[in-house]
Amino acid sequence: MSTRRQTLAALLGAPWALRAAEDIVKHPRELQFAPRTFTPPRGADFRHQLSNGATAFLVEDHDFPLINISVTVRTGEFVEPPEKAGLAQLTGSQIRAGGTTARKPLDFDEDADFLAASLSSGIGDVSGSAGLNCLSKDIDAGLALFVEMLRTPGFDGERLQLAKSQLLQSLERRNDSTASIEQREWARLLRGTSHFSARQATKASVESITREEMAQFHARYFFPANFVFAVSGDFKTADMLARLEKAFGNWPSPRIAPPQVPKPNFTPKPGVYLVHKPGVNQGRVRMGHLGVMISNPDHLAISLMNSILGGGAFTSRITERVRSDEGLAYSAGSMFMPGTYYEGTFTAAFQSKSETVAQAVAIIFEEIEKIRTQRVKPEELDTAKARAIEALPTRFATAASRAGQFASDFYTKLPEDYWQKYAERIRAVTIEEIQRVAQKYLRPEQMVVLAVGDADAILKGNPDKPQFKLETWAGGAGIVRIPLPDPLTMVYPAG
Amino acid sequence: MGALAAWAQQVPVREVTLDNGMKFLFVQRKGAPNIAAGWVAKVGSVHERPGITGTAHLFEHMMFKGTRTIGSRNIEEDLRINVQLDQVKAELRKEEQELARRLRLGLIANAKDPAVRSERHRQLLAEFDKLNARQKELLVKNEFDRIYTSAGASGLNAGTAHDFTIYFIQVPANKLELWFWMESDRLLNPVFREFYSERDVVHEERRLRVDSTPTGKQREEFDAMFWKSSPYGWPVIGWPSDLEGITREEATAFFGTYYAPNNLTACLVGDFDEEQAVAWAKKYFGRLRRGAREPEPVRTVEEAQHGERRLTAYAETVPTVVIRYHTVADGHKDDYPLSVLAYLLSGRTGRLYKSLVLEQQLANSASAEQNTYKYEGFFQLSAVAKPGRTLEAVEQALYQEIEKLQKELAPERELQKIKNQLAASKFRRLQSDFFLMQQLLVAEASRGWQSINTDPPLLDAVTAEDVRRVARQYFPPEGRNVLHLAPKAGGGPRGTGGGL
Repeated sequence: MSTRRQTLAALLGAPWALRAAEDIVKHPRELQFAPRTFTPPRGADFRHQLSNGATAFLVEDHDFPLINISVTVRTGEFVEPPEKAGLAQLTGSQIRAGGTTARKPLDFDEDADFLAASLSSGIGDVSGSAGLNCLSKDIDAGLALFVEMLRTPGFDGERLQLAKSQLLQSLERRNDSTASIEQREWARLLRGTSHFSARQATKASVESITREEMAQFHARYFFPANFVFAVSGDFKTADMLARLEKAFGNWPSPRIAPPQVPKPNFTPKPGVYLVHKPGVNQGRVRMGHLGVMISNPDHLAISLMNSILGGGAFTSRITERVRSDEGLAYSAGSMFMPGTYYEGTFTAAFQSKSETVAQAVAIIFEEIEKIRTQRVKPEELDTAKARAIEALPTRFATAASRAGQFASDFYTKLPEDYWQKYAERIRAVTIEEIQRVAQKYLRPEQMVVLAVGDADAILKGNPDKPQFKLETWAGGAGIVRIPLPDPLTMVYPAG
Repeated sequence: MGALAAWAQQVPVREVTLDNGMKFLFVQRKGAPNIAAGWVAKVGSVHERPGITGTAHLFEHMMFKGTRTIGSRNIEEDLRINVQLDQVKAELRKEEQELARRLRLGLIANAKDPAVRSERHRQLLAEFDKLNARQKELLVKNEFDRIYTSAGASGLNAGTAHDFTIYFIQVPANKLELWFWMESDRLLNPVFREFYSERDVVHEERRLRVDSTPTGKQREEFDAMFWKSSPYGWPVIGWPSDLEGITREEATAFFGTYYAPNNLTACLVGDFDEEQAVAWAKKYFGRLRRGAREPEPVRTVEEAQHGERRLTAYAETVPTVVIRYHTVADGHKDDYPLSVLAYLLSGRTGRLYKSLVLEQQLANSASAEQNTYKYEGFFQLSAVAKPGRTLEAVEQALYQEIEKLQKELAPERELQKIKNQLAASKFRRLQSDFFLMQQLLVAEASRGWQSINTDPPLLDAVTAEDVRRVARQYFPPEGRNVLHLAPKAGGGPRGTGGGL
């Protein structure tokens, strides 16, 4: 054994350090840095109103001969009727893929590709989007294609059939990966099955979607008053405004109020839920409960508290214990996301081999209890604050990220001075407040625990650590088994 | 065109090499609030051997565990416990080897069952746990991360591939010296603490990325079939039995060979004083001692293939065909026409989509890529069959597209379209400082960072004749490696069939 000791000493010990320069400080805390002041830019300084009612944020950047235009559209999956689940998604993709009223899809695609212009469109849960990225010398041709696509999509029948075939093929495989099962069931457990955010397309809903319905959907939501533009790149602002006016100015907007995102009307049922997926050796777990709105004045204190608990990657407690102490997971942590339209969620998550799922769940419950009952250390809060404040410049680092941030803040109606006051508000949070929000907003008694994996192996646990059992948190009701649904109808087999 | 338009034709890199062989690449981007900083060790899974597969990647994890200064309250005691842990682990290994022998002979069914352990085995485990607990008391947990995070640095991470291991972060522009301090310290004074629990973390990473995904195991099987003699055949993350067996001693030896400064290149992209950076490079990294000898290039080359190979694997996924051919290494003169050939086949207006998806309606998606490593390369075609179509029909249609390229020259306009896209992408991929830093380091690990400037004109010079020539040369029937991923039921009440 002495050999190894020598080897270690030779490699890690004194010989390498001999040349250490005298003036290198012993610990990085002794390094001195020039101060850095950062004032976040204000969106209002880059905001312009087009004559057709659209809002645009323009940020110049002449480093590269490229222009990027992103449009956020006031629409989303929340407006589609439940029996038409998939309509928003298909409409979003087919605006780009289905050609235009003037051009067949392949002709449109060839023109875009020859121009090396990247054009895109899509509709997500609470917003739609469209984008153009092209060389600045090609902006006229690029913008013409972009407007043609946005304003007069062709919704080609063959392309729709292809998109449906692709979508149905993916629906058919929706029980394949534990990750997608976990995501789907978590939404259902937290939001209830009738809220749009947990809604699932089925074979019947997809097959029923017609060209006409897509065209109507497009006409109802795609017009300039519903657009927020984020434009960045190699242009002069006045010139770009004139181009946008010319391209979009004669596109009238009907007087229709923007749609309101519906709130879920659902109280999650605490307990332990288990989905059996045979043949995998790792269980995926999410655990949590409902959270807060971004308008809640406590949301920054909550964010710092969560950063200490599990949101701060390697400097947070859950990662430290589940991953580095115990080696139970590659990724383990928590999120406390405030909601824009309705209350957000608190979620802790990890993936661990079946045998150690219960042990990792136990650790997370322990950490939640600990942060609720014991004050955090000053250095933990300092790290969390530094992480939040010092990351602010990164958010505004490039022209594209500035324009995008302004547009997103405008779309979600974030208070105009939010980022200007952000650092000050973060700095003001105290250790006492961290404990107060931990007690108020972390609610162990409301925890929903979802595990997806080999149920038998997960329940059996680790023979070396028999004290950890998933049943511990199931309460009187016992563990609730969730079967896999029929992938095409989403009908769940009875008990 | 902007002031830096010309810049993008030639990324202006200043290269500085220290006396110990460590190289630095500096790129100025005025006004950026952060500096994208990273370094690459020219080592990856290709430098491993059976028994220690996964070491390069495990090593990447260990580099975050601290140093003699960072991560422990009592370094002497910490190092003493490390030695004791290794001693106990060596004894444990004997017990495990005995269990493995008994498993091999069928005397036990499960070597991990606590019931089959000897009394000595149990004592050793208890001792091991006790030592770990003692070391834990001395740890300043994740201090390496904490120092950077508290300073406002973000995105601290690393990645391991077949040919390289890359470490990167974004540091606030005013705190560049912190990066020099931290990175030189972890190269100069590393301590691989928490070695054995981190090995478990890597094993969980393997379960996450390979074992518990619908096609991870099958794709690993295909890789193992495709490479006969080359070390590209084993997964970067390593084989499970190797992950469970790698010792700290092996990891330390690996470090000594491959993390010497003459095998490292660092890169900074951002707004900083170049002379100051050079001075810091010398002051901090100049302390590292050049390795006793240069790491040797990989010796084993891929032996020629002498017949078509096929793998039919059943997986919970869409019906998929993958066809691979051995081609050339990164930077070979034929790498450029093969890349153009792949672009001709791929994308929304590529030949595969037009033919297999739109016209013949055989597939729901299809693509091609020329994929190169430092020592070898391959060309891959893949497609997802449309329901009701057979994998055989899709496979034949893929061959037909190659045959067309062997017979007819690609039209000029089609080629021009590809070159227009390459020209635009040349700018697009330089926009992000962070991405540029990574690209320079990855290029450096293969042929040298200069390829980021020298490759675009070589791609632009590819002719239709070049494409036809490589189409004729690299796709012989006996060079095929074919994977059929045939769907099996994905669970739930209905067995879901698919394309077969």
